[in-house]
Amino acid sequence: MNREKDKTDRILRIAEIMINELKLEDVTPASFDPDMDLVDEVGIDSMDLATVALVLQDEYGIRIDEDDYPKLTTVRLIAEYIEEKLSE
Amino acid sequence: MGALTQRELAPGSDQNQGVWRFSDILADPEIKNRWEKVRQYFFLRESTYDMTNRCNIRCEGCYFYEGDKQFVSENSDLNAWRALMAREKERGITYTVLAGAEPSLVPDRCRVCYQVIPWGAIATNGLKRIPGDVDYQVHISVWGNDATSLRVRNAEHMLERQIANYKGDPRAVFVYTFTRENIQEVHEVMDMLSQNGCRVTFNMFSAPVGYDGPLRHDAESLHHTRRTAMELLERYPEEGLFSHYNIAAHTQPQGLHALYGCSYPRMNASTAVGLGRSFRQYRADLTWDRNAACCVPDTDCEDCRHYAAGSAIVTARLFRHATDPETFKAWLDYVDTYLAVWVRGYEKGKNLLDHLVMPPGHDFSPPDSHTAVRL
Repeated sequence: MNREKDKTDRILRIAEIMINELKLEDVTPASFDPDMDLVDEVGIDSMDLATVALVLQDEYGIRIDEDDYPKLTTVRLIAEYIEEKLSE
Repeated sequence: MGALTQRELAPGSDQNQGVWRFSDILADPEIKNRWEKVRQYFFLRESTYDMTNRCNIRCEGCYFYEGDKQFVSENSDLNAWRALMAREKERGITYTVLAGAEPSLVPDRCRVCYQVIPWGAIATNGLKRIPGDVDYQVHISVWGNDATSLRVRNAEHMLERQIANYKGDPRAVFVYTFTRENIQEVHEVMDMLSQNGCRVTFNMFSAPVGYDGPLRHDAESLHHTRRTAMELLERYPEEGLFSHYNIAAHTQPQGLHALYGCSYPRMNASTAVGLGRSFRQYRADLTWDRNAACCVPDTDCEDCRHYAAGSAIVTARLFRHATDPETFKAWLDYVDTYLAVWVRGYEKGKNLLDHLVMPPGHDFSPPDSHTAVRL
């Protein structure tokens, strides 16, 4: 139960960071579809992704390898990636 | 690599031993302000377009007249160009680079591009003025003094004519290409350009595939260029649009690909995100080929130190430079320079660093080890 809540909270926090850093309009963390493709549907580019990755590194105390960027295509996948890093 | 400990995350007194948090790097107001300034332009997504197969001069070592692109059947239909630009805009391209062979010969095509996508730059030899209503940045290529231009480009009084066409034009950036042969004469060219209030950035001759002529750089000429560019930076702080990190990145024995990993499709198989996904290089017949796509096609990738390539490749490596304040300042200087060179109306700030910093993961090459000290 707690694990599911942690996951949901993390998804919301990542969405919040995404919205703040990329100045996305007309969307809130709660309304941000975690399965939306960030490149195709949100329209983020490599510079946006790098910016968000730097902030996420600070937030969670992890290192996000540059080579892993291509995997981080949705908020949910980013949340799972972070979870994996935290468990290492 | 997994989670870092708090101790590892905290910046230590010796930054070489600590790992800097991005937020700690940004705690410096000077860095924060520059970061906020440059990141507003992260929306720029480029592609490049050969506008015609024709040119009014023939330069030694010209990348355009290498490979197949020069032989395509040129599309002169303005409606086709307009439709192409509309499709490009639709797929997210926000910045056009109009290049080969000589865009000033087809101003109507340039105008159509500008009307559809208002951000862009035109690479020209500057002998024919591009009409002012095409409000792109205009890059005028300079390969030395007039004697050298006559010899290498077969054009008389080139600099004089370029200045006559673009003096006082806010679109104009003169691009001095250092070759193995013209390093010393940059001083007289810079004097002339600065006296006329012209802004100047520098480029490095990057050999086309198979070219082994006298313009190709060697270790000595790279070193000489580095020292010369540093002198110019001190002498022309207003007219010179570059930084110490531009010098460091473009005068290494290794080319840009070896230093940073080229992000253009020709050298980057990934289509996940970034240039590998979005960048196209259209030929004058409006076709493109992913395997050949980069900003200077038919350049020998091992020898590529081209300023246009660097603008994208170095900028894209934000992550690698966000390791400590000094390295990040170097990257910010580079990006601030790139934006001043490529974006209409962007004002370059004062460089944050006054000394050379090496690309991440690389040490100074032995002949230049003494340049690591502050000037």
